[in-house]
Amino acid sequence: MLSYILRRIASTLPVMAIVALFVFSLLYIAPGDPAVVIAGDQASPEDVERIRQSLGLDRPFLIQFGSWVWRILHGDLGTSIFTNLPVSTMIGQRLGPTLSLMMVTLLLTIVVAVPLGVLAAWKAGSLIDRAIMAFAVFGFSLPVFVVGYVLAYVFALELEWLPVQGYTPLAQGFWPWLQNLILPAIALGCVYIALIARITRATMLEVLQQDYIRTARAKGLGQGGILFVHALKNAAVPIVTVIGIGIALLIGGAVVTESVFAIPGLGRLTIDAILRRDYPVIQGIVLLFSFVYVLVNLMIDVTYTLVDPRIRY
Amino acid sequence: MDRRTVLKGLAGAGGLALSGISAPAIAQGASARTLRFVPQANLANFDPIWGTQYVVRNAAALVWDTLYGVDSSLQPQRQMVESEEVTDDGTTWTFKLRTGLKFHDGEPVLSKDVVASLTRWAARDPMGLMLKALQQELTAVDDRTFKWVLKQPFPKMLYALGKNNSPCAFIMPERIAQTDPFKQIGDYVGSGPMKFAKGEWVPGAKAVFEKFADYVPRQEKSSWLAGGKQMLLDRVEWIVMPDPATAAAALQNGEIDWWENPIADLVPVLKKNKNISVDIGDPLGNVGSFRMNFLYPPFNDVRARRAVLMAMSQEDYMRALVGDDTSLWKPLPGFFTPDTPLYTEAGGEVLKGKRDLDAAKKLLAESGYSGQPVTCLVAQDQPITKAFGDVTADLLKKLGMNVDFVATDWGTVGSRRAQKTPPGQGGWNMFHTWHAGSDCINPAPYTAIRANGDKAWFGWPNSPGTEKEVTSWFEAKNLDEEKAAVARLNKVALEDVVYAPTGFFLSYTAWRKNVSGITKGPLPFFWGVSKSA
Repeated sequence: MLSYILRRIASTLPVMAIVALFVFSLLYIAPGDPAVVIAGDQASPEDVERIRQSLGLDRPFLIQFGSWVWRILHGDLGTSIFTNLPVSTMIGQRLGPTLSLMMVTLLLTIVVAVPLGVLAAWKAGSLIDRAIMAFAVFGFSLPVFVVGYVLAYVFALELEWLPVQGYTPLAQGFWPWLQNLILPAIALGCVYIALIARITRATMLEVLQQDYIRTARAKGLGQGGILFVHALKNAAVPIVTVIGIGIALLIGGAVVTESVFAIPGLGRLTIDAILRRDYPVIQGIVLLFSFVYVLVNLMIDVTYTLVDPRIRY
Repeated sequence: MDRRTVLKGLAGAGGLALSGISAPAIAQGASARTLRFVPQANLANFDPIWGTQYVVRNAAALVWDTLYGVDSSLQPQRQMVESEEVTDDGTTWTFKLRTGLKFHDGEPVLSKDVVASLTRWAARDPMGLMLKALQQELTAVDDRTFKWVLKQPFPKMLYALGKNNSPCAFIMPERIAQTDPFKQIGDYVGSGPMKFAKGEWVPGAKAVFEKFADYVPRQEKSSWLAGGKQMLLDRVEWIVMPDPATAAAALQNGEIDWWENPIADLVPVLKKNKNISVDIGDPLGNVGSFRMNFLYPPFNDVRARRAVLMAMSQEDYMRALVGDDTSLWKPLPGFFTPDTPLYTEAGGEVLKGKRDLDAAKKLLAESGYSGQPVTCLVAQDQPITKAFGDVTADLLKKLGMNVDFVATDWGTVGSRRAQKTPPGQGGWNMFHTWHAGSDCINPAPYTAIRANGDKAWFGWPNSPGTEKEVTSWFEAKNLDEEKAAVARLNKVALEDVVYAPTGFFLSYTAWRKNVSGITKGPLPFFWGVSKSA
């Protein structure tokens, strides 16, 4: 198992290298120029050129790419063109809010979606099943920002139960931390809950047709035991897979959610960096996201062994 | 590895993620001495000489003081300077600093700091560059006195040192000001009424300013960048909110105290709230514009440019931008900011009255236009340029032009407009932008009105008559001469269509009613602002 994990981690290196080359090339050929943004609207073309030179943006592609790779290999993600701060510092500042948002969303999703999916499968064809599936379609169809605005209007402006925006670190208390994350997590989790609920239902329906479920019923096992101990455990592999794939959805959704709720996370940092053409920051974040995604997939593979003892590496 | 080991590992990783990361405190309890402010844009860098965006200037005005400050009557007044003398021939200026001036590190402000700061500023600012070209020497005479010797008189000296257009002549410690003007500073020791809390800065999210106890304000009443900058707040937090709807909700909910620039669509909602005040933010407003490329057909022919001017309706542009709120805009038959001393409508008839589309078509045909594509760059991520671009596309089509509408983002427009290649090879024929009204009060900071060909702003207008009148204004000895020069300038610039003004527009600012002392101006002024619990 350990050697498998190490092999998988090692296999991320070529993936990261390809991602790095791809991102760097894409940014190089993309229109836009950070020097223009820095210089401001009134700057002369000569000023823009001097700034470009001072940033090293006038150097050939291969030299720029080579020096960037060299720095990465030394653990240096570079310095933001605009803020003059190390990219690692900027990512560090933003990691907490994004990680918190994703964890709360993930937790909320699993707690809500899996039972809903199980319930829908158990009551397949009933009114409950149809209501849950209608909710799933609704959740899947609504854009994150619309859900966000509605939640903020109802729970922050009208009821005044929760804040509209912002983020408080966990170090300042559990409730202050959580109250800033409840609405964003619901908004971000809607799509995810819908997806997982549907997958859970479909997988459970298949499992509930199996012979061993009929045997369990025949020997007098309670409904809860059948659903959550015998059926759900065997349906878990595809559910866990979709949860893993959904991490990518969360990363994408976090960009919008963080903007709507003014959460200073990595999603907003990404958008800001793209709009300003802050190349080192974009490259650093994309590398981080791709690494996280590869790591999540590895964790999913490891999780298979927990839910299905037949799987061994 | 078994199931328990993996679960323990996962739990440990989760715990680490939750407990070990310190992140900024964005939502904090408000106190009466802390003002939470939503700025117009993200403070992405903090060097007001290197980065000339307005948001940087606005923040810098809190942290760095200036030798002079322009007041609400647009006159430069002494700020860090106690007195100045100029020789009869107007070539030697001697300035003396006030006593008691200190930097945020406790060091006194000395002449050597001023000399270094002015040298760095003069390398980037258009007026500074003019001074640099005339400069014989800029030297510190003693700790409080410095001298600027010029080859010829420069009557606008005090205005240059006190203007609020970016970059302002902010005074920094010598060691910081010696940084290459094309490289960013990383040390933010200032001379102004507030200190920059670098440790709390999260670019894109938050910037914090704390009261500088040793700042010595002038005794006069404050007026814009002039007078006594009395800080009644201990702390000002700038909270960046990219989503206007969120900012509106946060203001209504009391999570923020002041929103610099609410969008017009949300103003009616804010006006209905009894806890919120809404008013025009900057009386100098903005001048909308689109620029035509003088280098390539069809707009290398003045008749084509005039045809567009004859056909365009400023009302269409303004209504597309601000809707039906007529208090937010006015027509602008010229280039200079309305209600300022040099405002003129000389030569503005072409932009007034009923639009004559047939005459414009005829003139366009005379220019030799034969249906070639007109590449029109329109940044879709800026509400102003998006609105202007849509109106222009319609206008050009009505004129019978073949519009190549390039819908893109502001970053791309910013780099593509600098291209001098033909439109079909990465260049362009037309792009949209706007200018702060404070940049259009006279020709000094007004880069967009310059028409010196290759050295001019994007579009590279070539109008010797315009340049002649810019020089006349610089040489004017009194306000009457200045007015006469600007009237001639306005006329010739419209005749040559240096650019097309789309109208003058204003925007609102909004704040909670427990905040007082907010004044109208070209930037948000925090001195004199207070907040009750």
